Amino acid sequence: MLDKPASALRLRERLLDSERLMEETGCYDGITELTLRNQDPLKFETLHTKLRAYCVSAREMARRISASPGVREVGEMVVAIYTPEGDAIALSNGIMVHVHTMSRFIKWMIKNGYEDNPRIREGDIFANNDAFIGTVQVPDVMDVVPIFHEDTLVGWAGAVCHELEAGGITPGGDVCLAQERFTEGLFVCAEKIGENDEIRRDYVIRCERNLRMPIYWVLDEKAKVASCIDMRESVKQLISEIGLDYWMKVSKEFIEEGRRAQLARTRQLTVPGIYRGHTFYGHVTAGKPGFQLLGDPDWLYNIPIEMEITTDGKITMDFEGTQPWGYHSMNCTPAGMDGGMFVTLTQHMNFEGLVNDGAWMATELKLPHGTWTNPDNEMVATATSWALLLPAYGVFQRLLSRSFVARGYVEEAFVGQVNSPMIEMGGESQYGTPFGMAHFECAAAGSGALAIKDGLDTAYVGWNPESDMGNIEVWEQSMPMVYIGRSIMPNSGGAGKYRGGCSFVSTWLINNTSHLRLHTSEHSSRVFDNGGMCGGYPAPTCQKHRAVRNSNIHELAAKGEPLAHAPGIDPHVSDYEKNIGGDHVVVEGPYITSPHKSGDIFSHSYNGGGGYGDVLERDPIKTAWDVENGFLTRQAADQVFGIVLKDDEDGYPVADIDATVERRAEMRKQRLAKAIPVADWIAKERGRVEKADFAPEVKKMYASAIKLSSRFTREFSEFWNVDARSIFMPGAKP
Amino acid sequence: MTSYSKEVLGDLAAGKLPWPQTRRIMSAYKDDDRFFKMVAVYQDRIAWKDPILLPVSDHLFICQSGDERITRCECGHSFGDYRKNWKLNAAINVRNTEEALREIYPNSDLPDPEWMEIREFICPQCGTLHEVEAAAPGYPIVHDFEPDLEGFYREWLGKPL
Repeated sequence: MLDKPASALRLRERLLDSERLMEETGCYDGITELTLRNQDPLKFETLHTKLRAYCVSAREMARRISASPGVREVGEMVVAIYTPEGDAIALSNGIMVHVHTMSRFIKWMIKNGYEDNPRIREGDIFANNDAFIGTVQVPDVMDVVPIFHEDTLVGWAGAVCHELEAGGITPGGDVCLAQERFTEGLFVCAEKIGENDEIRRDYVIRCERNLRMPIYWVLDEKAKVASCIDMRESVKQLISEIGLDYWMKVSKEFIEEGRRAQLARTRQLTVPGIYRGHTFYGHVTAGKPGFQLLGDPDWLYNIPIEMEITTDGKITMDFEGTQPWGYHSMNCTPAGMDGGMFVTLTQHMNFEGLVNDGAWMATELKLPHGTWTNPDNEMVATATSWALLLPAYGVFQRLLSRSFVARGYVEEAFVGQVNSPMIEMGGESQYGTPFGMAHFECAAAGSGALAIKDGLDTAYVGWNPESDMGNIEVWEQSMPMVYIGRSIMPNSGGAGKYRGGCSFVSTWLINNTSHLRLHTSEHSSRVFDNGGMCGGYPAPTCQKHRAVRNSNIHELAAKGEPLAHAPGIDPHVSDYEKNIGGDHVVVEGPYITSPHKSGDIFSHSYNGGGGYGDVLERDPIKTAWDVENGFLTRQAADQVFGIVLKDDEDGYPVADIDATVERRAEMRKQRLAKAIPVADWIAKERGRVEKADFAPEVKKMYASAIKLSSRFTREFSEFWNVDARSIFMPGAKP
Repeated sequence: MTSYSKEVLGDLAAGKLPWPQTRRIMSAYKDDDRFFKMVAVYQDRIAWKDPILLPVSDHLFICQSGDERITRCECGHSFGDYRKNWKLNAAINVRNTEEALREIYPNSDLPDPEWMEIREFICPQCGTLHEVEAAAPGYPIVHDFEPDLEGFYREWLGKPL
């Protein structure tokens, strides 16, 4: 039991002691009874609410200090309060993925002897953005300050902002061209960047000289430090009211309570068993300028997940069978994987009670060594780890949702998140100055459908539950491009009884610059990186980029001719091609090309979410509304959903119910006529598998998975009744 | 303790409950008697008599059928022992050409059929589309869910199967 309020033990010993107690008792820090909660539950709850209020208030204050539209507009920030050993007690809203990654950062410093050198003292400020120490990617810069009561370290206050510019080989934060750590940008590896509550001048100079847009990073540092000091002083005031002994005990009971609440909620909302799912991601870079030939340029990633829920309420996620790390920026570290788990749990299961690191402790991740989830090489780049992380946790959301459906809590089932393709830029700003920036309107994708309604349109991303695309006018202040369109993408949600939320597409006119580098990342090529559920289809998430160089848009505008504000709905010829003259470009995969200049046009589309349920059960009246409002097209209503629409007297679409019933009966017949028994299909496909009659990238994917996973090999071999190793790795040693 | 009538839960499952009421249910403490009430809602919806033990998808249920526990479609079609992957007894339609993919995605950029295909798992009796997989060619069919039925009833529901 914890009874060491002002322990004389050194931090490292306290941390190891805490881990040992957890191992021995199964309870956080050996807390087998919630004594303080039982003594006075009202006081217990009130104190946690106060801590949460400290966090929320500190974050809101800090956002006003930031200069970054990512932090100010989109809310790319989170703050939290930790135990001396670095476990989160309470947190704010915002990008909660980083609450647990900061925990890893604090523990890393403790385990690496920071008490002795560089020492941990009142007023110190430590920063980190190294994902192998504890963050997700290089732009996620975290600051922590210790909280002392008299001479005893009694906790930490921490804050993270996602920086819009990280100084990497390509501008922005999600440095798409990084293929190794050394091109990702400015690293701050668990450094003491300030003392006596003041950020060191030499650190600021380093930032100013190594970033394209240091105002974002430096003012975000000030915002984070201000929020940490604010939380620290609040906690110190609280300790003066409740006493140090009570604080040291209650702060840990909060975490054990969080752990127990997570287990209880799993038992309440789910069904024990084994759940499986997968998704894929296509990375296509062959021939693109700038990529070094360090590995195969094109890569198909499989992301299989097996989730086990045991009867004690523990959730285990196993990524065995996935692909190795690669010479690209999409690798992830265990810290990032933890963060993904944490932010998903906070959204789907911890919607009441105490939310803290306890929830994470009630789960387990199995991350196979050598895969993109747990690279065995710390030189790899992780700048766009979200590319694989988001699809992976979308699978987790679907697996959890299947358990909610089975338990009867249909209102909690949710088809999940999708990737958030980033657009980043740098070069000469509209003011004639050097600049660099990540555009964060991607923080508002379409969500997956629910089991009882359509998904949210342009209003959800998994990594920031406060999803917000930001105001056009604010983005326009920060970049040499003006919007000529920001539109809903019709049919961009996955089809289903309930469709996925729709995404949007932006179209910009490049303006007042002679040199604008535009880059994109986290946009899957050639495969959808999401799924549907219970009969719903995945959302179409392998969109290409469209641009017009040397456009005649100014001439068209001068003549009052119609322009194009979106790519339109013709998959073969875009509205840009139909309406605007110039050199039209269609690019698959990351957009990495020569700089743009004034007069060029660029468009970027985001992702919709997957669908739920059989398309032939979709509500015809809702569908007519969707068509009227641009979420679905008439063609999709008819062809995909079997809904016959006619026009009312004002020309608006209305559903013809009788004709729809008839059409759907016919479609169901056609569906059965086309389908074959699965056993027949397997028999036919086995021949193709035996010959490995697949695209080179598909064969490479199988060979890589087989090399890393005996379970994948066994399951593949058993399913097809073949010897997978001899097919995909002929000549390899057993 | 929070509790809802069967009628309310029936409307909730059917997506017919007004949004303000749905929102209140989502925000409220969960109703611990939900499972058996929801099973009763589904039991009323189906024409067959086998007792439902567990819903596993929108129109698929594990039920007690004589001495066996099977996965059954809402229409009554049996997909066999619940411990086996029901998909193996389904009908399948695979979309692995641009033409077939275009039927579902009329306006979007399409996956490369060499890299990904869409598999539709269909009830061979009623034609309901129960599940869709988006997978690389050659990828084994996924066994989505193996519930620990015994453990669920015994340890979580406190009732015999």
